[in-house]
Amino acid sequence: MKRRTGNWLGHIRQTVSRVWRGIRQWCGDASYERYARAHARHCCGATLLSREQFYLEEVEKRYSRVSRCC
Amino acid sequence: MGAIAIWTVIAIGGALALGKIALYRGEAINATWFVIAAACCYLVAYRLYSALISAKLLALDDTRATPAERLDDGRDFVPTNKWVLFGHHFAAIAGPGPLVGPTLAAQFGYLPGTLWLIAGSAFAGCVQDFIILFCSIRRDGKTLGEMARDEVSKRGGFIAQIAVLAIMIILLGVVALVIVNALKSSPWATFTLAMTIPIALLLGVYLRYLRPGRVLEASLIGVALVLFVVVAGRWVADSPAWAQVFTLSGVTLAFAIMAYGFAASALPVWLLLAPRDYLSAFIKAGAIFSLAAGILIVRPDVHMPALTKFVDGTGPVFAGKIFPFCFITIACGAISGFHSLISSGTTPKMIQREGHARFIGYGAMLMESFVGVMAMVAACAMQPGVYFAINSPPAIVGAAGDAATATISSWGYPVDTATMASLAHAVGEQTLFNRTGGAPSLAVGMAQIFSHTIGGERLLSIWYHFAIMFEALFILTVLDAGTRVGRFMVQELAGRVWKPLGRTGWMPGILLSSAVIVGAWGYFLYQGVIDPLGGINSLWPLFGIANQLLAAVALVVATTILLKMDKLRWIWVTLIPTVWLVTITMTASWQKIFDPSPRMGFLAAANAMAAQLVAGNIPAAKIAETQRLIFNQRLDAMVTVVLAGMILVLLVEALIQWTAILSKRKAAVLHESPYVATRWAAGAEGD
Repeated sequence: MKRRTGNWLGHIRQTVSRVWRGIRQWCGDASYERYARAHARHCCGATLLSREQFYLEEVEKRYSRVSRCC
Repeated sequence: MGAIAIWTVIAIGGALALGKIALYRGEAINATWFVIAAACCYLVAYRLYSALISAKLLALDDTRATPAERLDDGRDFVPTNKWVLFGHHFAAIAGPGPLVGPTLAAQFGYLPGTLWLIAGSAFAGCVQDFIILFCSIRRDGKTLGEMARDEVSKRGGFIAQIAVLAIMIILLGVVALVIVNALKSSPWATFTLAMTIPIALLLGVYLRYLRPGRVLEASLIGVALVLFVVVAGRWVADSPAWAQVFTLSGVTLAFAIMAYGFAASALPVWLLLAPRDYLSAFIKAGAIFSLAAGILIVRPDVHMPALTKFVDGTGPVFAGKIFPFCFITIACGAISGFHSLISSGTTPKMIQREGHARFIGYGAMLMESFVGVMAMVAACAMQPGVYFAINSPPAIVGAAGDAATATISSWGYPVDTATMASLAHAVGEQTLFNRTGGAPSLAVGMAQIFSHTIGGERLLSIWYHFAIMFEALFILTVLDAGTRVGRFMVQELAGRVWKPLGRTGWMPGILLSSAVIVGAWGYFLYQGVIDPLGGINSLWPLFGIANQLLAAVALVVATTILLKMDKLRWIWVTLIPTVWLVTITMTASWQKIFDPSPRMGFLAAANAMAAQLVAGNIPAAKIAETQRLIFNQRLDAMVTVVLAGMILVLLVEALIQWTAILSKRKAAVLHESPYVATRWAAGAEGD
């Protein structure tokens, strides 16, 4: 019985954390971490942008193309 | 076997619900039937039609690496979880169009609009979004204009570019007009919306200097502040001095919105535009889900008849018969050319597997269509007399309440001044007569549904102003982002004439191009504000025509690519929607230009006013205004001629291409990027 409750709690915790991760990615909160991970993987030699620089460049780029519909 | 049984039950349920809403002719029908009909039809369309397109037309290949995998840079090309990308894509395509269009089209009754929303999305809108997304994925995320140039012709690419600019200008003018009509003489709503500007500035500073890039916490602070100003608006409306400050005329509001658009385009993007967008994303998602939940909980009765007498074109909300104007008025909830820009924008650069294109491209459009059905339910749930009293311009029903109610009641939709006064009082407005544009009536419908769920009559005014704020915030997001993109387009064109004008960081160029784009949509806004018919009458159809022109461009590109892929047998999938769109757009254009009725035809309206002027029937004080109205009608006619002309040129261009390909006179060269096998295991999910 105790084990089953533990499994349940584990599932709930996992689901909540997955939803939280999804919301952070959807709204752009996790963009910098994702960029830093990709930078570590691919951009050997290139300077890693600070969080502030990254944010400014991202919003500048996003609003220079059609990003919202009617 | 079990799956077949489940899908058979869903299909039968959808058919029964559709039959119920199509054939029912009683007093009122419950909204649950609309939800069941839409949900079952969408599920069946997704399960069968999108699967057919995936397998037979596009042959989606999950072993093929997408641009997000091959070009992953953590910024533009980012492999993204399909649910997160679905949310991104839906948030980008869902604008005010699917809310306003069905609300206006409700003047024909609930049936035509609902059927078009369901069938149009399943067979046209979703098909367009899905196939353009697929085409862009196969071409490293190229835009619609680039694909039109590569696959159709250079002229096709140029038409796509011009169509985007045209739709942008008309769209921004018409959505700004919807806000003006919603805020006119409403101190509560004007205060609430005005306060969202300092809130956005505050968030901009927070995200730039205090906690860079912490979007979630900034948005939560912003949402709390916005909800507070919605409530605080009542105190402003109750204070005679402050109410006077925020009671603005249509013309003043129009200039205020133009100033806002200019500021959003010229100021640094982090200061105003980006934080407002983050803010509106949460409010938009919350309001749409709340509306869906509210409709399911309250299950309101739909009082509007299935078909009204206005299918003959004599409707007060906008002129025009059910064909083609129902299909022009409801653009975004059924098919929207604008979506093809999103499907060939960021989404193809983030998709993880080709197979996800079906869920994201086809599925997100189905969800947008469902938003349109909910807007239709919200508009039709109020008494028809009330709906027409809110949405009819004074030039049709009279400015005085008594005259308006007498006219509307004589049409067979009873309403009285006491009912309208008590409703206006309950929602905290001075009056609800002649509040054209669709936003106020949708807000009343939404507020009635919300207040039945939480708070009852006591909270009706709060819910109403929440709904107005949600619609206006939604629209301002489109307006400021669109003005800025329009500014870049103007700079790109101007840069060809004089290079410095093309530099996006050069301040004189920024100011000049911002003034040009704001002046262009601002003119349409201004002409709508001074139009005695409320402006929506002429501007919304113009927007519909421009939007469907872009959809025709997208479908022609899709058809050409399918032909080159040797999919002649399945070409009807894109060809039938193309023929339908060209037919409705050309018919609507012809009628808007040449119809002999002054209420309908731009030239007839101009000629009728000119005749009045010549006959000396216009008072001296009104001569200048009448001349302006005549000019505006002729300008609208000219814009329509240009849009219709572009469709014809595109069609001829496409037919030449298709004939050349089919007769083998021209090699069917596809401009796809080469096949590269994915390195990811099946079932693996990215970030």
